[in-house]
Amino acid sequence: MKLRKMFSLPQILLTGFLFLLSLTMIVPLLNILAMSLSSPEASATMSGIRVIPKDFDVINYRIVFNHPVLMKSIFNSIYITVIGTLINISFTSLAAYALTRPNLTLKKPLMIFLIFMMLFDPGLVPEYLVVQSLGLMGSRWSVILITCVNVYYLVIMMRYFEIVPKDIIEAGTLDGLSHMGMLMKIIIPLSSAGVATITMFYSVIRWNEYFKASIYILNQKDTVLQVILRQFVILGDTVSLIGQQNVWNYNDFARVDYNALKAATIIVAIIPILAIYPVVLKYYTKDTLAGSIKE
Amino acid sequence: MNKLEKKERNKIFFQKINHEKILYFMILPTILYFIFFRVLPIFNMRLAFFKYSSRTPWTFVGLKYFRMIFASPDFIQILKNTLIISFMKYILLFPAFPIFAILLNELRCKNTRKLVQVISYLPHFLSWIVIAGVWISMLSVNGGVNEILMKFGLNESIDFMTSRTWIKWVLYFCEAWRSLGWDSIIYFVAIIAINPSLYEAAQIDGASRWQIVKNIIYPALLIPMVTMFILNLGFFLNAGFDQVLNFSNDAVLSSIDILDTYIYRIGIQSGQYSLATAVSLIKGVVGVFLVLFTHFTSKRLTGKGVW
Repeated sequence: MKLRKMFSLPQILLTGFLFLLSLTMIVPLLNILAMSLSSPEASATMSGIRVIPKDFDVINYRIVFNHPVLMKSIFNSIYITVIGTLINISFTSLAAYALTRPNLTLKKPLMIFLIFMMLFDPGLVPEYLVVQSLGLMGSRWSVILITCVNVYYLVIMMRYFEIVPKDIIEAGTLDGLSHMGMLMKIIIPLSSAGVATITMFYSVIRWNEYFKASIYILNQKDTVLQVILRQFVILGDTVSLIGQQNVWNYNDFARVDYNALKAATIIVAIIPILAIYPVVLKYYTKDTLAGSIKE
Repeated sequence: MNKLEKKERNKIFFQKINHEKILYFMILPTILYFIFFRVLPIFNMRLAFFKYSSRTPWTFVGLKYFRMIFASPDFIQILKNTLIISFMKYILLFPAFPIFAILLNELRCKNTRKLVQVISYLPHFLSWIVIAGVWISMLSVNGGVNEILMKFGLNESIDFMTSRTWIKWVLYFCEAWRSLGWDSIIYFVAIIAINPSLYEAAQIDGASRWQIVKNIIYPALLIPMVTMFILNLGFFLNAGFDQVLNFSNDAVLSSIDILDTYIYRIGIQSGQYSLATAVSLIKGVVGVFLVLFTHFTSKRLTGKGVW
């Protein structure tokens, strides 16, 4: 009975349709992966829907991982992502803890302030001038500090903290726990799924950040992977990546297929996302959303 | 209320604040962050009425820059582009999310469903640079899309990225590609939350799948649909800055140039600070009005606001 239901005509059509839809989502990525793993001669002829590498070769990755500018930018991306996410999550959980304490006198004005801050965007130039006048221009700290707290995530975090059972908190108070102790020893461990989810969201945003980095970080040696990726893949600036000298000498580096090298750089930018993707799937479950939708 | 009572109340108020002071210290970093990177920029917005100078104080010029903006044909075109792109994304994508969630729910095989979910959520986590890189390659003259179209009988390949007619559809399509899975989660969750006894009752009554979708699932999706519809309205003038910036090129710039890319170009790239600030100010004020409007409409319609 159950098996018959699974193989009924509508089910087959539906499965087919969703399968095709999934293919359009995954094939472009697999093609990029296949291209990056093919030899320069083969990858130039690879069509856009091939998903299997032709004439397997890791020369593109050898170039990427031996490239001083790219390696430096990968390091910078990791640095900004780690420090930035730490700041994000500590600011957010501290504020969420304080704002979820019952009867906080100034809760209402603080929430109104935060929501207004979320809704009103002063625009690019006013912010640019502030970064300039704070003396952050050119420093990696500009990118780290410019996005410390996301109010939307703060609200989700508050929803997580609110559902920690009251008796446990009361027990903690009776045991003489300070606010910091309460946050570190009770609230965060009991809402670890929420903290993990928000941490991940912040780190994805940090890793994918390119725009602020492109306007506030002036030196190529301080910039992040996404900015280099943009220069190379979108704006098509190949010379600065291959190196003028290599182009003149027309050696191995200059002979690579640019499209395959672009593909390899894209894959390098995706790998960290894929690494934490299982965590997204594990924790981003029903209750995250239930938390974010206002009842 | 007499003076004494007032004084007494003030005293209690400050005692309470004093008692909670550790909590306020915990919010302090967040507040300081917003003061530095949101409130100070808001003060800088007065630049829209001043002529910028880096050393000397700014000189007041009144509405000069606003007159310049409204007199420029560029701005009208850009405003038009912004509204068209935003509107089309809205009406094309908005129904797609609940439909995708319903289809996913109709899938009997749990493993297939999981697989579709795992694949369709992924694009949401990729940066627009990566997405643009992937799709510029797919949509190029000898890319995958053209190859498939040729197999289906197209004679000449289409250069999607430099065609003024196609580029907008590329934007809509790639937006859908990125958000279809992720943005349908909210509807999928609403479907899962439906009380199973409703399905059982429908089965006893002999309802067909279509009747179940129409009478049980669709009503459950109405509230999240209204909420999302209203929420997104507040960001109507955004139209997707990161996407447009990375998908545009000289051939198509004029047909997909939107307010935010215009602000970036005139403000940061050509250094016309005051002009760019004036455009931001217009955009910000309209945005606040849209949000307030949606908040109060939503309160009247559904009984709950945006906040």
